[in-house]
Amino acid sequence: MSQLTFETINTTVLNTLSRPGKIYWCTIALLFAGVIFGASCWIYQIFVGVGVAGMNTPVHWGTYLINFVFWVGIAHSGTLISAILFLFRAGWRNPIARAAETMTVFAVCIAGLFPFIHLGRVWLVYYMLPIPNQRTLWPNFQSPLIFDVIAISTYLTVSSLFWYTGLIPDLAIIRDRSNGVKKKIFKVLSLGWSGKTGQWLNYTRAYMLFAGLATPLVISVHSVVSWDFALSVTPGWHTTIFAPYFVAGAIHSGLAMVLTLSIPLRKIFKYESLITMNVLENIAKTIVFTGIIVGFSYGTEVFISWYSQNIIEMETFRWRAFGHYAPEYWIMVICNTIIPLLFLLKKCRTHVIWLFVISIFVNIGMWFERFVIIVGSVAHDFIPNAWGHYRPTWVEGGIMVGAFCLFFFLFLLFVKHLPSVSMTEMKEMIHKTE
Amino acid sequence: MSTDAIIVTGLFKSQKETLAAVEKIQKHGWDVTEVHSPIPSESLAKALGRKKSKIGWFTLAGGIIGFFSGFSLAVFTATRWNLIVSGKPIVSWIPFFVIAFECTILFAVLGNVLGVITQVGLPQKNYEKNYHPECSGSLYGVEVASKPENVDDLKDLLHRAGSLKGQRENK
Repeated sequence: MSQLTFETINTTVLNTLSRPGKIYWCTIALLFAGVIFGASCWIYQIFVGVGVAGMNTPVHWGTYLINFVFWVGIAHSGTLISAILFLFRAGWRNPIARAAETMTVFAVCIAGLFPFIHLGRVWLVYYMLPIPNQRTLWPNFQSPLIFDVIAISTYLTVSSLFWYTGLIPDLAIIRDRSNGVKKKIFKVLSLGWSGKTGQWLNYTRAYMLFAGLATPLVISVHSVVSWDFALSVTPGWHTTIFAPYFVAGAIHSGLAMVLTLSIPLRKIFKYESLITMNVLENIAKTIVFTGIIVGFSYGTEVFISWYSQNIIEMETFRWRAFGHYAPEYWIMVICNTIIPLLFLLKKCRTHVIWLFVISIFVNIGMWFERFVIIVGSVAHDFIPNAWGHYRPTWVEGGIMVGAFCLFFFLFLLFVKHLPSVSMTEMKEMIHKTE
Repeated sequence: MSTDAIIVTGLFKSQKETLAAVEKIQKHGWDVTEVHSPIPSESLAKALGRKKSKIGWFTLAGGIIGFFSGFSLAVFTATRWNLIVSGKPIVSWIPFFVIAFECTILFAVLGNVLGVITQVGLPQKNYEKNYHPECSGSLYGVEVASKPENVDDLKDLLHRAGSLKGQRENK
C-alpha cells in the first residue's frame, strides 16, 4: 500500500479500460447467448401461459420468487460495503466499494425482473402501481406485496443514484485522459466536474447523506421482503425473526458474491496492489460473522417451533430437516454455516483458491436457503391432503440461467468500460495513511 | 476581483504543499480564487473560507415531504372505497408507516440530488476555464487572481511556493 501513488492508482485502473481482447468478447457473446436463451424461455411462458412453470397447488411460489429473494440479498452487501462500512470509516472497503455498488445495481435490476416473470400476465404489471384511474381503484397499501413494490423501486433508484454520484470524479479523470468520441462521452457523463473546493465540500456532504440514507433503506428493504412471508400465517413463515434473519442472510450471500467477483477481477486486471489480501481477508472474516448469525437464526427457528409446542410448526421444521427436501435443507446448513467456518483458519482466508471456492459454496447455500424457506413451507402446511411437491421445469431453469448470464454480462461490460475500482476513494485512503 | 484580472494557475504535487502554498500566497496579499484537487480536503476548503454545505437542508426537506406524501397517498387511496380488507382498519397506521418510511428515504435522496445539482453546480458547461486536466488525476491546481501588471511577480511567488508550472489565462 505504501508504494501506491495517485499516479499509479490512475494508471492501474485506467489500464483496465483498454481495448478488450478476443477472450473478453467471446465471453460476452457466450453470456449474451445465455441472456437470449433466458429471454426466449420467458417469451415462451408469455405465449403459452404460466402453467409451463412447475408452480401448482400447493406450491405457487417457486424459483421465480426464490431468485427474486436471492438477487435482492446479493444486492444488499453492495450497500453494506459502500454505505455502512463507509459510515464506519472502514478503509478496507475502498478498493471493493465500486464493484460492490455495481453488483447492487445489477442485482436489484435482475431481482426486479422476477416478480414480472412470476406474474404470468406481465402486461398487467401496472396494477401494482398507484396510477390514477377512472374507477379510483388503487393498490392495497396494507399488503406486504405492495410494500415490496415501493421498497424495491426506492432501492433501485437510491442505489443507482448513489453509484452514479460516486462515479463522477472518476469519470472526470477518464475525460481528462481521453480523446475523440470517448472524451465527448465522458465529458457528458462527468457533468463538468472540475474538483473545486466548493464542489468537493458539497459532494462529500451529499455522499455522506447518501450513505446515511442507504443504510436504513437496505435494512428496511430486506425486512420488507421477509414480511412477504412473515405476514402470512403459513407455518415456517409466520415468525418475528424473519426480518433480521433475512437481512443477515442477504449480507452473507452478498459478501460471498463480492468475493466471487473480486477474486477473478483482481487476477485478470492485476489489481493485487489495490485489492490486497488484507481486503479479501476482511471480507472472509465478515462472512464468518454473518455465517454465525445465519446459523444462529436456523437454530432459533427450530428452538421456537419446539418451545411453542405448536404441532404444525414442529412438523414443518421436522419435515424441512428429514422430509422430501432434506437434501436441500442440509446443503443450506452446511454451505452457509459449516463451510464458512473454514475462514477461521488463516490459511483459508488468505488463499485465493480457498476464498473463491468457499464463496461459491456460500452462494449455492444461500440459493438453497431461499428454496427451503419458500417451497418447504407451502409444500407442507396445515392439511395433509393439501401437501405436495414442487419441481422446477426447464422454462424456470432457463430463465434462471438467463438471469445469472445477464448479471455477469452486465458486470463484464461494466469492468471494461467504467472504472471498477474507485480511484478517488483509493487516493483518499492512501492520503490518510501518509 | 476586478474584471481585467488575470488568473494564474499553479500546479502542486501534494495536499500538504498546496496548503502551504495557499497560505503563503494569501500572506503576500494575493487572492486565491479557487483550488482544484483530485481528492476532497477540509483544510483547503477552510483556507479558502468556504462556508458549510447546505445540502443537508435539501435532504431534510425532501425527507419531510416524502414522509407526508407517502402517508397521505396510503390514506387517500384507502379511503376512496372504505373497504375493510383482512379485518384491518381502513387507515392502518403501522402498514402505512412502512410506505411513509420508504417514501421518506426516496424523497430525501431526490432532495439530496437536487442539492448536488444546485450546490455543487453540476452539470457545468464551462468547467474548462482555468482548469488543468491533470487536476482530476493527481495534481492540485491553485488559481490566483492578479492585476495584469503583477502577473510576473505572482508567477515567481508560485514558483517559490513549489509550483510545478504556471498556467496563465484571462478571466
